[in-house]
Amino acid sequence: MEETPRAKYTEKEKVSVFNNEFLPHINSMYNFGYRLTLDEDDAKDLVQDTYLKAYRFIESFQKGTNAKAWLFRILKNSFINDYRKKSKEPNKVDYQEVESYYNSDDVDRQITTDLRVESLQDMIGDEISNALNSLDVDFRTVIILCDLEGFKYDEMAKILDIPIGTVRSRLHRARNLLKDKLSVYAKKMGYKNP
Amino acid sequence: MSLLDNPFTNQDGKKVTCLEMLQAILDGDATEEQQQYFSKHMDECMPCYRSHELDMQIKQLIKSKCCGNHVPPDLIEKIKSQVNSIS
Repeated sequence: MEETPRAKYTEKEKVSVFNNEFLPHINSMYNFGYRLTLDEDDAKDLVQDTYLKAYRFIESFQKGTNAKAWLFRILKNSFINDYRKKSKEPNKVDYQEVESYYNSDDVDRQITTDLRVESLQDMIGDEISNALNSLDVDFRTVIILCDLEGFKYDEMAKILDIPIGTVRSRLHRARNLLKDKLSVYAKKMGYKNP
Repeated sequence: MSLLDNPFTNQDGKKVTCLEMLQAILDGDATEEQQQYFSKHMDECMPCYRSHELDMQIKQLIKSKCCGNHVPPDLIEKIKSQVNSIS
């Protein structure tokens, strides 16, 4: 197995990398933690654990590489190992089902819901946030990484430890599920189908 | 650029579908050339135009409404002091 090259940092350099490359991402990290756990205290613990781990393993971080993606990866792994087990999340999504959906003719449908642009304009904030939070955590995660944080397919693949093709299909499915949820809100607000 | 020179390529070498183009645009995976092509394509493809408008608006809404969780200031101090104690 290829060994990860390790950087040698002095104590001063460690603190400098930590303060200048890691800490600036703390708001994104906290938001990610919150969106995963849906709990402020759990999000705080998750962020704290992640930063302490990042500091402890700082020598496996290569200066000039993508610190944000590295931190997100650590946070995601901590979430899976420490929080997911005890959380009340439903079981993991059946990706077989997801993949077969993606490969079916259904994906060529252009508009999967009757959601309309006009109905979105009246959504003040809670609706979209609630809709996102109600998605299964694996689908929620790809939307956050792509739409909120602007990560590319290859970065998401590394953060999540899944192939790029799976990132693409998961995002596609997540967007459709989100539209379905928003469509339900739109109906509740009184928008009729065209 | 003519609509005959489609800069999108499919992994299997097959002709790309509208949905595949739209997804590359939405996911931020399209090159500038591909974005220009898709923008022209939408002039002639109403379903793509409507899907794009809706999807981009959702993306925008997520960006503006789901980012508001700022880290509590005491957490930054706590992390810093813990790091100092182990360094």
